[in-house]
Amino acid sequence: MLFCLGLGVGEIILIVACVAIVVGVIVGVIVRKLKGKCACCDECSEGCPHCKKNAK
Amino acid sequence: MKRFALAGNPNCGKTTLFNSLTGSTAHVGNWPGVTVDKRDGVYKKCAEPVAIVDLPGIYSLSPYTPEEVIARNYILDEKPDCVINIVDATNLERNLYLTTQLLEMDVPIVIALNMMDAVERQGDKIDGKELERRLGVPVVKISALKETGLQELMDKAFNESNKTRRGSTVLKDTKLGHLIGDVKIALAGQNVDNPLFHAIKLVEGDEIEVAMHKETVNMVEEFKATFNDDIFGTDFEALVADGRYKYISKYFAPVLTRKSKEKFQTTRSDKADKVLTNRWAGIPIFLVILFLIFHLTFSENFLFVSTFADWAGRPLPTLEDLGLVAEGEPINYGVRWLATIYDGAIFSPGVIVNNIWNDMLVGELFGWIGGLVEGSGMAPWAVGLINNGIIEGLGAVLSFLPPILTLFLFFSILEDSGYMARIAFILDRMFRRFGLSGRSFLPMIMGFGCSVPAMINTRTLADEKERTATVRVIPFFSCGAKLPILTAVAGAIIVQFAKGNGNADLITYAMYLLGIVVAIVSVLLMRSTTLKGETPPFIMELPAYHAPQFKNLMAHLWDKTKHFVKKAFTIILASTIVIWVLTHFAFDWTFLQDEAINDSILAGLCKLLQPLFTPLGFGSQLGAYGWVFVLAAVAGLIAKENVISTFATLGACIIAVLDVGSLGGITAEAIATDDTGISSVIAMIAATGITVPGLISFIAFNMTTIPCFAAVGTAKSELGNKKRFNWTLVFWLVASYLVGAIVYTIGSWWWTLFIWLAVIGAVTTLIVLYNKGKIKLKPLKKMSKRS
Repeated sequence: MLFCLGLGVGEIILIVACVAIVVGVIVGVIVRKLKGKCACCDECSEGCPHCKKNAK
Repeated sequence: MKRFALAGNPNCGKTTLFNSLTGSTAHVGNWPGVTVDKRDGVYKKCAEPVAIVDLPGIYSLSPYTPEEVIARNYILDEKPDCVINIVDATNLERNLYLTTQLLEMDVPIVIALNMMDAVERQGDKIDGKELERRLGVPVVKISALKETGLQELMDKAFNESNKTRRGSTVLKDTKLGHLIGDVKIALAGQNVDNPLFHAIKLVEGDEIEVAMHKETVNMVEEFKATFNDDIFGTDFEALVADGRYKYISKYFAPVLTRKSKEKFQTTRSDKADKVLTNRWAGIPIFLVILFLIFHLTFSENFLFVSTFADWAGRPLPTLEDLGLVAEGEPINYGVRWLATIYDGAIFSPGVIVNNIWNDMLVGELFGWIGGLVEGSGMAPWAVGLINNGIIEGLGAVLSFLPPILTLFLFFSILEDSGYMARIAFILDRMFRRFGLSGRSFLPMIMGFGCSVPAMINTRTLADEKERTATVRVIPFFSCGAKLPILTAVAGAIIVQFAKGNGNADLITYAMYLLGIVVAIVSVLLMRSTTLKGETPPFIMELPAYHAPQFKNLMAHLWDKTKHFVKKAFTIILASTIVIWVLTHFAFDWTFLQDEAINDSILAGLCKLLQPLFTPLGFGSQLGAYGWVFVLAAVAGLIAKENVISTFATLGACIIAVLDVGSLGGITAEAIATDDTGISSVIAMIAATGITVPGLISFIAFNMTTIPCFAAVGTAKSELGNKKRFNWTLVFWLVASYLVGAIVYTIGSWWWTLFIWLAVIGAVTTLIVLYNKGKIKLKPLKKMSKRS
C-alpha cells in the first residue's frame, strides 16, 4: 500500500522505524505498568523501592 | 540460595562492601542515610553463590524512621542465614552498641571490622582475636574500600551460616537481668522467635513490641511498677542503653590501643571543620564553592582572566585577531582544537569538554549523518523528519551531556568527600527557622542530580509533615534534565539580547539560587499553614573527610550517562517524532511544509492554550511562532529534556523561513556551522519576539512546575496518600505559575515589585495573625447553616 502512495524503500523504512519507536515506547510503558513496575524504576540504579523490582 | 544481610551503623561502609562483593554500582556517599531501602546482589566466590542483602544503616534496633524499620523487620522476619555486622573500626564503641543488640537475636553473626586501613594509618591497633573471644562471634578485619579481607569474611560467614546460634545479651548481669530472663521464658513458652531480643525490647518499652505482645505486657509492667533506679528512675530505655554502654566500655573498648594517649585528638577533619562549619563563615564558603562549581562548568572566561586583562588595558586577542580564523572558520584542524580551549578568553574545564564533545565529536557525527541523508535522494519530508526532527532533537539533548556530567562530577566530589554532610549541618540553623531540619537538605541537594532518588531519600526524615514539605520542594532544586533549558535560554539571552556581553555561568547560578529561594519560601509557607508542626531535632554524625574515590565518581557518572542516553533514545526520541509529525500535518491531515507549521495540529492546540501563559510573558503577546513555548512547556511535563528537543526540532524547521539577518546576535554562519542546532534555537527564540523577562519567566516556570512523569510517580508512591499527592500537583502548578508571573511582571515593569511585596506582606501578616489566634476562620458549614 505504501508503495502505491509513491513512497520509496527508504521512506517506508523510516515510517516503519518511527512507528516502531513510538509504539515501542508506549507499549513499554504499558507493559511495565502491567508488570507492576512503577515510573521511577528506570530512574536510578538503586532498584525500585516501590514495586520491589531491582534494576540490577 | 543462602542469604547474608549486611547490617551496621549509617555510613560505616555497607554499600561499599556490597558493591565490592557483588560487583554492583549502587550509590555510595560519604554521609549517613544514603541507602534507604534494602537491595540484593549475588556473591559467587563462596562454596555456593550467596545472596547479599544491603540494609539501610541503623544506630539501634529501636527504629524511629521508615528505613530503620526496614532493616529491623528484615532481620527479624526474613531470617537471613547470617548477619554480617559491619563495624566502623574508627568508631568502635559507638558501632558496637548495635552489635550488642544484634547478638540478642537467634541468628549467626560475623563482625566485619571495616576501615581497618584508616585505623592503621592513625597508628592505632585493634586486638581482633580478643574482641572475637569477648563477643563470642567471629571477627574479621577488612577494608571494603581497598577490598582486603573480603574472602576471609565471606568464608567465615558461610561457615557460621551452617551453624545454629542462640542469642546472648550483655545485660544479663545488670539489675534488669532477672526481669529479662523471666520475660524471655514467658515469650519462649508462647513459641515466639528470638525470645531474648523481644524480651529486652519489651522491657525497654519499645512501641512495636508492646503492640505485638499484649499478653506479656502486663507482667512486665507489674515488675516495672516496683522498680526505681537511683539515676534513671523508671526510664527503662535509658537503663538498657546505659547497661550496654557500660559493658562496651568495660569489656570491648580495651581491645583498642590508641597511638596517642590523649582520649580526644584533633584530627585533620576537625581542623577543616573549624573553618568549613564555622558559624559565620560556613554559609558564605558554601555559596562560594557552589559558585566555583558553576564557574568551572559554564564559564567562557576562566577565573575572569580575560576581564582582568581588559582592566589592565591589554585585552587577550581572539583567534580572528591572531589570523587563525578566516571567514568564520578555523584555518586548520589544529586551530579547531585550539578553539575548544581559547578564543579571546580561556574557557573553563566544563566548557572545554563541552566544546570537544559538540564541535569535534557529536557535531561532526550528526553533520556527517545529516549530509548522508540529504544526498540519499529521499523525499524532502523524509529528509526533514530525519534531519530536522530526529537529528536536531536528539543532537540538542545529547549536546548537553558534558555540562550535566561536569556539574554532577563536582557534586559527587562534594558528596564523596564528606562536605555535603557539613552543608546539612551548617544549614540546619537556617532551615530550622523555616520549619525544616538540616537533614532534609540532603535529599534536596540530591535533587540537583535527579528528583526521583531525592524523593526516595526523604525516607530518612522521621516527621511526616517535614517529609511532605521536602518532597514538594525537591523539584525546585534544578535537576540535570533542566540544565539544558537553563543553558540554552541563558545562551539566547547573552547572544541575542546582551550581544555577547555576559556570563552564562552567572545566569545559570542565579537561576539555581532562585530555585533554592523559591523552595525556602514554599517551605516557610507550608510549615506555617497546611503542614504545621514541631521541627524535629537534627542529630547527624559528621563523617571524616576523605579524598573522593575515583571508582565511586566514575560509577556515579556512568549511571548518569547511561540513564541520560537511554532516555534520549526512548522517550525523547519518540516525543520528537510525534512532535515533528503533529507539526507537519494540518487538522484535515494534509501534509505541511516547514514554512507552514503555524497551521499545524500542534500549533492550533497550543494557540488555544497560549492566553493561559500571557501573564507569564510567553503567551499571546508573542509573535508568529510564540506557541512553541507553550508546546515546549507542555512536552516538558513528560520529561524536561523534551523542552530543548522540542525547541531544536521546531527551530530547525523554522530557521529556513526566518530572516536571520534581522535577528541581531545570531548569524547565518553560526547557524550553518552549528550541527547541534542550538544556534537555530536561539534564532527561533528571537523570532518569537519574546523579551528577557519572558525568557527568565519561562525558565522559572519550568524549574518549579511538575517535574516529569517519573518524579510524579515517585511522589505518588512516597507520599502514600492520594489527597496529599493531589495537593502536591496543585502546589507545583500554582507555585510555577506564580513564580513565572512574578518574575515576568517585575522584569517588565519594575514598579510592580511594590505590588508584589505588598501582596506577600499582606499574606504573611494574615498567616502570622492567624497562627497567633488573632483572627479566626469560620467553618464553611456553620456559615451555610446561618445563611
